[in-house]
Amino acid sequence: MNKTRCAAVIGLTVILLAVIVYLNMLTGSVGLSAREVMAILTGEAADEMSRNIILSIRLPRILAALILGGALALSGYLLQTFFGNPIVGPFVLGISAGAKLTVALTLIVFVSHGVQMGAMSLVAAAFVGAMISMGFVLLFSVRVRSMGILVVCGIMISYICSAITDLTVTFAADSDIVNLHNWSLGSFSGMSLDDVYVMAVLTLICVIATCLLAKPIGVYRLGEAYAKSVGVNILLLRILLILISGMLAACVTAFAGPISFVGIAVPHLVKNLTKTTAPVIMIPGCFLMGSLVTLFADGIARSIFAPTEVSISSVTAVLLVPVVIAVMLGRRREGHT
Amino acid sequence: MTAKMPAEGKGLKTESLTIGYEKDLIADICLAVEPGKVVTLIGPNGSGKSTLLKTITGRIKDRGGVIFLDGKDKSGMTGRDVASKLSVVMTDNVKPELMTCREVVETGRYPYTGLFGRLSESDSRIVSDAMALTETLPLSDELFTRISDGQRQRVLLARSVCQEPDVLVLDEPTSYLDIRYKIDILQKIRRLTGERGVAVLMSLHEPELAMKLSDTVVAIGEGQILRVGTPREVFDEAFIRRLYALGDKPIDLLMHAPWFTSGENVPAKATGDKPEASRPGGFARGVIMVQGTMSGAGKSVLAAGLCRIFKQDGYRVAPFKSQNMALNSFVTEDGLEMGRAQVMQAECCGIAPSVYMNPILLKPTDDCGSQVIVNGRPIGNMPAKEYFAYKTGLIPEIRKAYDTLRGQADIIVVEGAGSPAEINLKENDIVNMGLAALIDAPVLLVGDIDRGGVFAQLLGTLDLLEEDERSRVVGLIVNKFRGDGKLLETGIRMLEEKSGCRVAGVVPYFRLHLDDEDSLSERFDTKERKSFDIAVIRLPHISNFTDFDVFEQFSDVSVRYVETERDLCKPDAIILPGTKNTTGDLRWLKETGLGTVLSKEAEAGTVLIGICGGYQMLGRLVSDPKGLEGGGSEEGLGLLPVDTVLEEEKTRKQVTGLVQAAEGVLAGLTGLPYTGYEIHMGHSDPFDAAAPFTEGGTGYSKGNVYGTYVHGFFDKKEIAAGFTDLIAKARGKKADTDGATDYEAYKEMQYDRLADILRQSLDMPRIYRMMGMTDDKR
Repeated sequence: MNKTRCAAVIGLTVILLAVIVYLNMLTGSVGLSAREVMAILTGEAADEMSRNIILSIRLPRILAALILGGALALSGYLLQTFFGNPIVGPFVLGISAGAKLTVALTLIVFVSHGVQMGAMSLVAAAFVGAMISMGFVLLFSVRVRSMGILVVCGIMISYICSAITDLTVTFAADSDIVNLHNWSLGSFSGMSLDDVYVMAVLTLICVIATCLLAKPIGVYRLGEAYAKSVGVNILLLRILLILISGMLAACVTAFAGPISFVGIAVPHLVKNLTKTTAPVIMIPGCFLMGSLVTLFADGIARSIFAPTEVSISSVTAVLLVPVVIAVMLGRRREGHT
Repeated sequence: MTAKMPAEGKGLKTESLTIGYEKDLIADICLAVEPGKVVTLIGPNGSGKSTLLKTITGRIKDRGGVIFLDGKDKSGMTGRDVASKLSVVMTDNVKPELMTCREVVETGRYPYTGLFGRLSESDSRIVSDAMALTETLPLSDELFTRISDGQRQRVLLARSVCQEPDVLVLDEPTSYLDIRYKIDILQKIRRLTGERGVAVLMSLHEPELAMKLSDTVVAIGEGQILRVGTPREVFDEAFIRRLYALGDKPIDLLMHAPWFTSGENVPAKATGDKPEASRPGGFARGVIMVQGTMSGAGKSVLAAGLCRIFKQDGYRVAPFKSQNMALNSFVTEDGLEMGRAQVMQAECCGIAPSVYMNPILLKPTDDCGSQVIVNGRPIGNMPAKEYFAYKTGLIPEIRKAYDTLRGQADIIVVEGAGSPAEINLKENDIVNMGLAALIDAPVLLVGDIDRGGVFAQLLGTLDLLEEDERSRVVGLIVNKFRGDGKLLETGIRMLEEKSGCRVAGVVPYFRLHLDDEDSLSERFDTKERKSFDIAVIRLPHISNFTDFDVFEQFSDVSVRYVETERDLCKPDAIILPGTKNTTGDLRWLKETGLGTVLSKEAEAGTVLIGICGGYQMLGRLVSDPKGLEGGGSEEGLGLLPVDTVLEEEKTRKQVTGLVQAAEGVLAGLTGLPYTGYEIHMGHSDPFDAAAPFTEGGTGYSKGNVYGTYVHGFFDKKEIAAGFTDLIAKARGKKADTDGATDYEAYKEMQYDRLADILRQSLDMPRIYRMMGMTDDKR
């Protein structure tokens, strides 16, 4: 592990992050100057309209992208470490499909009965769905020894959820499922500061838990057998890792909908830049890089065809798929399969 | 098993440990590794070395027993406690992504660091020391995936060293390594035991390295721990050849290994007078097993002949066959049942038969089931499939029976059953190679040239055996050879070349009158009629047909087994023999029309005698109220005024007595002594006036029809000769019965002749050497 290199990578990420936050503050349909933005942020008086734009729209959106992007990347890192499988991401285990199912059910049931849906209840529904899917995976993980089979279980859960969702949608009125369509595209728009508090707390809990697991995760790199031989409780570690990464992914899905590729690509990006897999670097590295990439993607999503917003997943896919492919090719060269 | 160590002592110890995945692989492992000692496991691939190590390190669950780490039961310790005492180097090819060698080594400190795994200064020093010890410090910043196999193995060793274990377990630490790294890694291990007093348990594939390095060597093979001891005690060429199933394989491709003692390498195609040392010996002393390529290859008779030869040479001998499948059982003095072949062999040994010689007897009751008799007592009827699953539970019985005999005899002659190459039944075998392994016996394999294809039989059988089984086959025997021995010579030479196994003899075809093993007996095929002709009705479930063998000594008398009305052809006497299924065979008798013919013959005055089941059939009625043979009742032939009731209680006893006031032609037998035995379920009582034939209501007669429960009724020479003479006289014939002998004496003569034949055809000195004995005891 080259400490200078790691420090450089993390430092650079932080600087870039600051720059992108800054740029995201400035860009938008209402033109505001840098000085105006600074004034609003430091609490100096400005007009009500501008304050509102910065504090209620742009700031929550930026914070959400930072938090959820980091959560996604961290979730991906944990799963990849654990499954020893480079293309595992938080959504492979059926988490987004589960969330989508409950969101679809909630929308159709409530809206068709004339009940008005608050944004928060949609979030809750998604969270519940994600956690249910994860619960199933957890159940399998206790019984199944092979990681490969566990991934297959996740994919199967995913398919079942999708099938039920499709079935539900088939018999629903178009007007009822417009929201579902919007949700499933994934977006950071419409975040409030209250939302940000909730996601911040959830994510913080998970990040702390991850830090506490850094030690066993580090040994786990040598494989389950050696980890066990030095005293790691493999079953407990397995449950905790799925629990934490599932919580993180559920949180993201609930607030922003399914966002693809961040979870898969960012850990590879960090690994390749820092040339290490040590958790002490990977945990902060992945979080920061996830934030950076997501925020960057969100910036593009809302400005490239402004005023029309593009789905965030489209942007992340275009940005990150080449990264994933490059990493795969690189791994082959390194002698991994 | 190794040096004694108190439970509270340091190091590693197992007690009655049983290992395996789905089923037990090796049971009851007791071994101990003391501080500063190296214990090495050797044995062939798949013998269970890795499984044992993985069980000890907790990677797979044990199947019973206790593992002690520094005197504490490992199952009661936390993962961290275990990790601070025991560390491992595994064979798994680990590929940690982007991990430097130092990081890999640092994982060894896991049990000692805090919540976040931060290394203290002393931790770092320990890591550096471990890397220095294994000379891997220069590799610290290299990526683990980019170094060579030899370096990797040393890094992994450093990792386990910095775990500061009391016990170090290494699974094949030298695999993939070139000789320099082999030497390196073993040197490091030696240093660890010497400087740090670590107890080392490892597996090695190279016997010569194990021999050099170990304090104790544990040899695992054949599903058990075969030997434990110092390298000097464990390593000898014969044993290593056996352990790795080298057989006769030339080992000249190996270096001149320290265990290789015979001085020169053995060509695989050794023939001629090679010294005996070239054969792997190392089997248990004083036991030889005879297996055949098929049923009826002549195993029983050859085993019997060997018994007689050893007995003649002054040894105490006992026969053994773990399991017999035969209808033809014998009842011992204690009233217990066993196979007749072992009775014959016991007679050859000159000892009383005992059920220990045949602990399991299966008597087929129908096509897919048998009555199972264990140590002489029936334990019930079982379909073949059920028995197949049940039989492994009988291994302790077999073991016990064998050990009992072992304590009483110098030599045990063991007989296999059927063929050892029935690959569909090989699992859980307890009669052929499974038994041979259990008692560690060398094997003679017998092929039958008379039925053709003897070379294919022998080579094919050897080919279907596992390597370790093959190595037990120390000699081949070509049996039942007719004609000129010269013609066989080239074949024998080629057989030896192809099989790599010596031919221990070619036994000529001979006809002796011996008790045969089962219903495959050639006797049934005899069609020859002599001047005095006895017809025995060949019932489908015929049993105890040796009752009539005594007549074979008379040159004028023929005993024919008859199945159809046409074959009957007016015999001088008709015998209805014993059966396992009276009502079934009675129905068969009536359906084939033989019943009517028998009645007619009886009316015409032909002597008709029924033994046991045959006697029951001659009566008026056989009823089966308990459903022992399917229930109901069956009308008999009605030739004797008795009714039979089948009962659950089995009568089993040896009997002697005098022939009672018999009627008809055999009246002249009255007052003659007879001996024999009874074995039947149920009893037959007269319902009308009937002349008693044998004592105690065991038989009656009416006219020329006789019936008795006594098997072996004809065995006394007076009875056999009297029977023949009386009938011959009544029919105006002459049958020479001069010089009649009792069946016993007659058999003795036959056994001695058998021994003579085998002495001439087998290489007896060699067979003695196979058993680790000599033939000069006399």
